[in-house]
Amino acid sequence: MRECLSIHVGQAGIQIGDACWELYCLEHGIQPDGVVLDSQHNQLENAKTEHTNASFDTFFRETRAGKYVPRALFMDLEPTVIDGIRTGQRRSLFHPEQLLSGKEDAASNYARGRYSVGSEVIDLVLERTRKLAEQCGELQGFLIFRSFGGGTGSGFTSLLMERLTGEYSKKTKLEFSVYPAPRVSTAVVEPYNSVLTTHSTTEHADCTFMVDNEAVYDICHHKLGVERPSYANINRLMVQAVSSITASLRFEGPLNVDLIEFQTNLVPYPRIHFPITTFAPIVSADKAYHERFSVSDITTACFESSNQLVKCDPRLGKYMACCLLYRGDVVPREANAAIAAMKARHSVQFVDWCPTGFKVGINNRPPTVMPGGDLAKAHQALCMLSNTTAIMQAWARLDHKFDLMYSKRAFLHWYIREGMEEAEFLEAREDLAALETDYEEAGQSF
Amino acid sequence: MSDTLTLDVIGRRVEVNGEHATVRFAGVVPPVAGPWLGVEWDNPERGKHDGSHEGTVYFKCRHPTGGSFIRPKKVNFGIDFLTAVKNRYVLEDELQEDGKEQTVTIGNKPVETIGFDSIMKQQSQLSKLQEVSLRNCAVSCAGEKGGVAEACPNIRNVDLSKNLLSSWDEVMRIADQLRHLEVLNLSENKLKFPSGSAPLTGTFSALKVLVLNRTGITWAEVIVCLCPPAHQMQVMPTDVLQTIKLLDLSSNQLIDENQLFLIAHLPRLEQLILSDIGISSIHFPDAGIGCKTSMFPSLQYLVVNDNQISQWSFFNELDKLPSLRALSCLRNPLTKDDKDTQTTRQLIIAKIGQLKTLNKCEILPEERWGAELDYRRAFGNEWKKAGGHQDLDKNRLSEEFLAAHPRYQFLCLKYGAPEDGELKRQPLMLKNQLLTLKIKYPHQLDQKVLEKQLPGSMTIQKVKGLLSRLLKVPVSDLLLSYESPEKPGREIELENDLKSLQFYSVENGDCLLVRW
Repeated sequence: MRECLSIHVGQAGIQIGDACWELYCLEHGIQPDGVVLDSQHNQLENAKTEHTNASFDTFFRETRAGKYVPRALFMDLEPTVIDGIRTGQRRSLFHPEQLLSGKEDAASNYARGRYSVGSEVIDLVLERTRKLAEQCGELQGFLIFRSFGGGTGSGFTSLLMERLTGEYSKKTKLEFSVYPAPRVSTAVVEPYNSVLTTHSTTEHADCTFMVDNEAVYDICHHKLGVERPSYANINRLMVQAVSSITASLRFEGPLNVDLIEFQTNLVPYPRIHFPITTFAPIVSADKAYHERFSVSDITTACFESSNQLVKCDPRLGKYMACCLLYRGDVVPREANAAIAAMKARHSVQFVDWCPTGFKVGINNRPPTVMPGGDLAKAHQALCMLSNTTAIMQAWARLDHKFDLMYSKRAFLHWYIREGMEEAEFLEAREDLAALETDYEEAGQSF
Repeated sequence: MSDTLTLDVIGRRVEVNGEHATVRFAGVVPPVAGPWLGVEWDNPERGKHDGSHEGTVYFKCRHPTGGSFIRPKKVNFGIDFLTAVKNRYVLEDELQEDGKEQTVTIGNKPVETIGFDSIMKQQSQLSKLQEVSLRNCAVSCAGEKGGVAEACPNIRNVDLSKNLLSSWDEVMRIADQLRHLEVLNLSENKLKFPSGSAPLTGTFSALKVLVLNRTGITWAEVIVCLCPPAHQMQVMPTDVLQTIKLLDLSSNQLIDENQLFLIAHLPRLEQLILSDIGISSIHFPDAGIGCKTSMFPSLQYLVVNDNQISQWSFFNELDKLPSLRALSCLRNPLTKDDKDTQTTRQLIIAKIGQLKTLNKCEILPEERWGAELDYRRAFGNEWKKAGGHQDLDKNRLSEEFLAAHPRYQFLCLKYGAPEDGELKRQPLMLKNQLLTLKIKYPHQLDQKVLEKQLPGSMTIQKVKGLLSRLLKVPVSDLLLSYESPEKPGREIELENDLKSLQFYSVENGDCLLVRW
């Protein structure tokens, strides 16, 4: 019951998805071919949770052969990345119909992803989605993984979201988006793609968790001792956050039992749905036992910008809503004490109009780490989702870059050529300007 | 605690208002009546004196303000293990009555807590506890015999850091009751040298991870703790802890490289973390240059960050480890130079052949290939000077070179000995790039042999053009070839006009033959 479908779009989405399912399998004791080892299966049953199998069911479907197949769809407009999954370690985990690839990619072009190349593939994708949705007893909603800067991630996703709203209007759609980093760029036209996709997707997504590469690079480099972080290192860290967010959906946990609760708790206005994710403790595996973090330590750490997965300074804004998801050996008494300690901090400022500032929950299962990975296994971990007006800085940065390029109409012809009009750019830009204003208004006091 | 002061109180670890200390003295301090405890604080600045009062020395401290006299009543001697576990994990009776969810307020904002009571219920089932964290819970003893084993025998992972355990014997008493113990963290406890009692059979039988950070323990003491005295057992001293896979000895400045041999024969040790111990060199005396040592047979991952490594010989020695796959060596004097991190990385890769991951970045085969080739070329001149020879049978390398570059021979076998052409590094001036060529005319016996300097990148077409102007012969009639003095009799035709002299490997001193 209450299944969740994950859709991974574009190279970023797929690579994060790969790391994500790897972690989920580790957490649930599923082997790379989808089979659960008997002894581990018993462990699951003996675990302290009552409805284990039901929670398990939200993300995996059990086939008659006893295999567990993820409820996921991977799609890309060109085959290279998906072929990596088709021939990789988890090739027997997924059904071949779940891995979709086109022939010609979007070439970092929103217009291609959305109009020309994307429109040819959308029907197939929707058909597969429908098939997966039919296998669910009661579909809760969708989790969409994508990047803002790429062609498929931006263009195709906006098309997909529109169509999903059309077909599944009542289902929640949560996004995990890779936001373009302030100083580390992968594509020159990222600002265009990001602005265009945000404009088209905002009304269709219910909540968008943003992560940016630069913040994660810095965390990997400084805190985890990785000399030159590769995408593998970065993705592994990001999926820890994803796992914490979905933990209460997969394991018995009292907080945020269904996807709609996320929206209710975190989103004050429909457009203000971009919380930032923070994770603690982030300790290198080599220093696993050096620093022992108590519950109050990790709570304090989550309010520091160095643990954030997006580059933005929360001290420059106000918090509108905050969800603290504790995992592991956390005693309620300690959680209460930690939160009480936060009240004394002046740097944590809330907006005047928000009634319940925090929502706290505990899940007994400690986070699992990839064996041989960079992150140390922690007894207690915390993932904080906070909706803060400071994220406006991220949008402002993006808009500024967009303006610089657009003022000279640079690179515009690539989009016009695929059938877009300049008017759409202006519209998108105005929409983002309005978003910035919305955030500003939300942060103002009475 | 009680007022009675027995002598066994000396040496115990206590806690006063969050500060930890060791009891050094118990008795009366005239002129003030009543019993006093003399303690040495962990924090050397916390005390008022160094153990002496009004001239009389009652106890010694290492630091002039390290000691104080305290009334026994004010001192917390700690609680036993089981009590600590119960304190943390068991629901107190009062709370059980309060079935409602607790609300906490922060400023004006109530905080909703959900499900805390069900969690509390679960955690209170001690016998199901597997992972227990008792950090800073003032645990000082094991409690009554068998109590722990009865209440929570399934504990696999216990964190006893920053407690009041004062001796290894006490630790053993606790560990003895936890037969499934896999992970034990004893950091920040000042443990006393063990009295020599051997661990009972079965203690630590499942131990996988042991953490002893900041315990002040010396290396010799660690060995005695881990290995019973040899004369009591017939087998190898390390028999007791055969299962240890990871050993983290970071930030213990008392370890020096010679003492590492004492753990060298742990058969299953896979990860060794030696960050910040001040190590600067390592030596495996049982292995010669280029051979593998029998020490650390299973060691796969070594961490030596934040040390004093400044010699390349360190990495040469690491090559001797048979199973080493991953290394982390950040923030050492040798590797600190920011400008050269790339070169340093390449050199380390080339020096340690079996390394697959360096500083948590995977070494791809292309990277290894590039690094090894660069290494071979970079030290090629030195190799020649040290007696290297193209024909590897004729090699007679100096001891010094072999010690500094033990893998060089292997690299030569793998990629071939470096050729002279590769090793020459002339400045990139144009005149160095010109080839001095002789030009002969085999069919015209009366023409002189010319010598010309031509750039290697000159195309055959242009050479023909030049010659045609010289000889007044049309270009299309000219046929060029060349021969090299090193290979006499062998003539190579230069038939493709569009290719350059370099393409045909025309070298300095070769002879161009022109026919028409």
